[in-house]
Amino acid sequence: MPAALLRSLGSPRVVIALCMILCIMFCAVFASRIAPNDPGDQNLLSILTPPFWVEGSDPAFVLGTDSLGRDVLSRLIYGARTAVLVAFFASLGAMIVGTILAHVSGYFGGTTDWVISRLVDVWMSFPPVILSLILMVGLGVGLDRVILAIILVDWTRFCRVLRSEVLVVTRHDYVGAARLLGFTHWQAITREVLPATLPLLITLMSLEMAIAVVVEAILSFVGLGVGANQPAWGQMIADARQYVYQSPWNLLLPALAIFLTVTSFNLLGDGLRRTLDVRLAESGR
Amino acid sequence: MTVLTLQAKDLEVGARIDGQVVPAIRGLSFDLAPGEILGLVGESGAGKSMIGRSIAKLLPPGFEITAGSLLFEGERLPQMPPARRRALLGRAIAFIPQQPMTALNPVMTIGAQFDEHLARLGEDNRKGRRERAIAALAAARLPRPADLLSQYAHQLSGGMCQRVLIAFAFSSNPRLVIADEPTTALDVTVHPPILRLIAEMQQQHGTAVIFITHDLRLAAQLCDKIVVMYAGRAIESGPARSILSKPAHPYTRCLQLANPTMHSPRRALYVMPDQMPSLRQLANMSGCHFAPRCPLVVANCRQAEPPNVAIANGHRVACIRATEAENIATTDALAATTENSQRTVLQVDKLQKRYAIGDGLFGGARTVEAVKDASFSIAENEFVALVGESGSGKSTIAKLLVGLEQASGGRILLNGDDLTDPSLRHSAERASVQMVFQDPQSALNPRRRVASIVTQAMEAGTRHATWEERLKRTGELLAEIGLAADFATRLPGQLSGGQRQRVNIGRALCNIPKVLIADEIVSGLDVSIQAQLLNLLARLRSELGFAMLFISHDLSVVRYLCSRVLVMYRGEIVEQGPVETVFANPQHAHTRALLSSVPPDDPQSPWPALRPAASMSN
Repeated sequence: MPAALLRSLGSPRVVIALCMILCIMFCAVFASRIAPNDPGDQNLLSILTPPFWVEGSDPAFVLGTDSLGRDVLSRLIYGARTAVLVAFFASLGAMIVGTILAHVSGYFGGTTDWVISRLVDVWMSFPPVILSLILMVGLGVGLDRVILAIILVDWTRFCRVLRSEVLVVTRHDYVGAARLLGFTHWQAITREVLPATLPLLITLMSLEMAIAVVVEAILSFVGLGVGANQPAWGQMIADARQYVYQSPWNLLLPALAIFLTVTSFNLLGDGLRRTLDVRLAESGR
Repeated sequence: MTVLTLQAKDLEVGARIDGQVVPAIRGLSFDLAPGEILGLVGESGAGKSMIGRSIAKLLPPGFEITAGSLLFEGERLPQMPPARRRALLGRAIAFIPQQPMTALNPVMTIGAQFDEHLARLGEDNRKGRRERAIAALAAARLPRPADLLSQYAHQLSGGMCQRVLIAFAFSSNPRLVIADEPTTALDVTVHPPILRLIAEMQQQHGTAVIFITHDLRLAAQLCDKIVVMYAGRAIESGPARSILSKPAHPYTRCLQLANPTMHSPRRALYVMPDQMPSLRQLANMSGCHFAPRCPLVVANCRQAEPPNVAIANGHRVACIRATEAENIATTDALAATTENSQRTVLQVDKLQKRYAIGDGLFGGARTVEAVKDASFSIAENEFVALVGESGSGKSTIAKLLVGLEQASGGRILLNGDDLTDPSLRHSAERASVQMVFQDPQSALNPRRRVASIVTQAMEAGTRHATWEERLKRTGELLAEIGLAADFATRLPGQLSGGQRQRVNIGRALCNIPKVLIADEIVSGLDVSIQAQLLNLLARLRSELGFAMLFISHDLSVVRYLCSRVLVMYRGEIVEQGPVETVFANPQHAHTRALLSSVPPDDPQSPWPALRPAASMSN
């Protein structure tokens, strides 16, 4: 498994994606150091200034300011912090919940499997965005609530895909053989089944990060996200919507940030899938 | 002089491996006259399937004909324009595949497929096509052929599918039929009728047949001529009977001695060391390719490849010590079948297993009885065989005994403790009944190394053995199962089939079990590897002293290894007793059917099941 991960570094997809993700992570971690201005500082004397390559820009605000005179670049950098936090913790949480239920469901089968699978069916029949909006209304705004809402909506994605993989692995005789040698169910799942589903799990997790970024942006856009005092890309798009004719850059720049982040997570997921998935790796990539 | 149907002259098929071309087949020559059956015999990897593939131009990627010629009725097959070859294939040249179930289209009826085939043959009249299809199916001895036309492949048994495909193959009146292991995927009891059908059709149509098989005895019964292949080379060829009665190449002789006997007195198996070289190894070999495994090897063998010379009428052999081959004899002592112990270790009492089919929520559920009131016992140190055709419930009994399935009724007593008692599950008692699984590919976790697999029992439960302890045990176990110590760090993907099966056995032996259940553990392996494993099991019994339930469909293997036999038929044990008694005087019709499916040891004696006199149907 570690060898396969190292091998995946040979794929250009993974390398490009990792470089982009590292840049975003860097912005997120060192936001307070690298941001030129405080993202909340309102500068009402210079509102809606354009970015530096457009005439009439202000050198103090490299990417211009928004309708309240806040520095766009600083807000983008702090927005990365929100996006990365949500992407990481929401996908981790969804992965843990989904993985546990998928392994229980696929390994034990029978009634347990039936109950969990029907629960997933019912859950997935709600439109995910509507479900998360309803949850946010109930939970209230805030970063932790956004993460919780995404976990509650997206665990089903992991559960359904992993369950079928667990079913395939569990049917192998080596899982039965482990039981014969005295392994408990827990040991059989963690030592025989889980290592086989891990490649899929990692791939799913990186794809889920992309989804979490989009969902967070949507929630912030409608004002049910992380809260007004914390900069978020979705919020920036919502703010810029009113002045889109005067200052299109305010809308396009956060949209570009979302696009780049989602693309890099998707690229990473795709690259990892190609190297970690034995079936694809054997047929030559 | 008549035109030969197929003639190969110094045919060479090269495979591209790591940028270098390795000959997968070298210098292969044979003549096939109309109406003859030619047997291509060899173990897996010998290159025997390459001939059929060369003819159809279906060689795997990277393989191509590099030298020599292959003539079909005087025409060069490889150089033929594609249109001409398409016109021949399926018409003048027909194929009978190895996997009849997958060779038929699952979503088309038999009738639709036959209709399509006949339309391609140029039969324009729809009604005429239907009549021809019915006549062809009837000729293949299929019951109610008209009804069969509206059925799908999954509604037929494997034997019936193969009959349908034989009807397909012969419906175009072909001049050449290539049958690639046509019975290997089928139950043993349908082998003789299928082979008989091929022989009859061949005689009726005067067709030339290439019969590809791994079974020397079977080839001797069916074929006129035999070519024995080893590592891509025809090492011996000639009239079928004379090759088997007087094998001139050491490999043919060893192969014969590695096969357990069925009718003649039991003898020890000859064990060839190692295995056939792979294509990769072939690239760096010089001299005779059999030399590393040959009991007659001399220094000259490693110098140059021995020429293919004629030793008798039509009998050719590629060995410089051909005259001495008949002196090869087994030196190992014959494994004793029983070490008279009267103490019962495992007692099975009226064991039952029922499965519910359908969930009962939508539509009715019904139950299927997989095992009906099975009762038997195994004594200490005793090897008991469980035989029967697929679906008879053999594997279900194995799973019930080890606790992978729960019994619907009955008792399993291990030294008096009832294993069906739920409180005993996962106890030490349970763990002393171990199982070796049929398919080592599936039974070995591809992510664990050999050391971790064979000592897996030591990481079970709350016991935590240190790595030093486990490595020490690994060393002992690898020695027991006959693998070198450096195998400990390998992954299952780096092992051959025989080595994997050894690891599979080693894992079950880690905590020396009282009873070992072996489910068809040699069935997928080549004869020489099978002989290695059978002798390994016999040796392990005398060293470790365990009892075994040996599940198999191969009666000659059962006769070699086991002292008692249980015959299973449709979930019931229909006959049981000492092997020699049951085989000499079978009481149940199914036991007789199983026994008649084994070809005789002596190529000169007739195989009654293959003669048309016997009226059998499946």
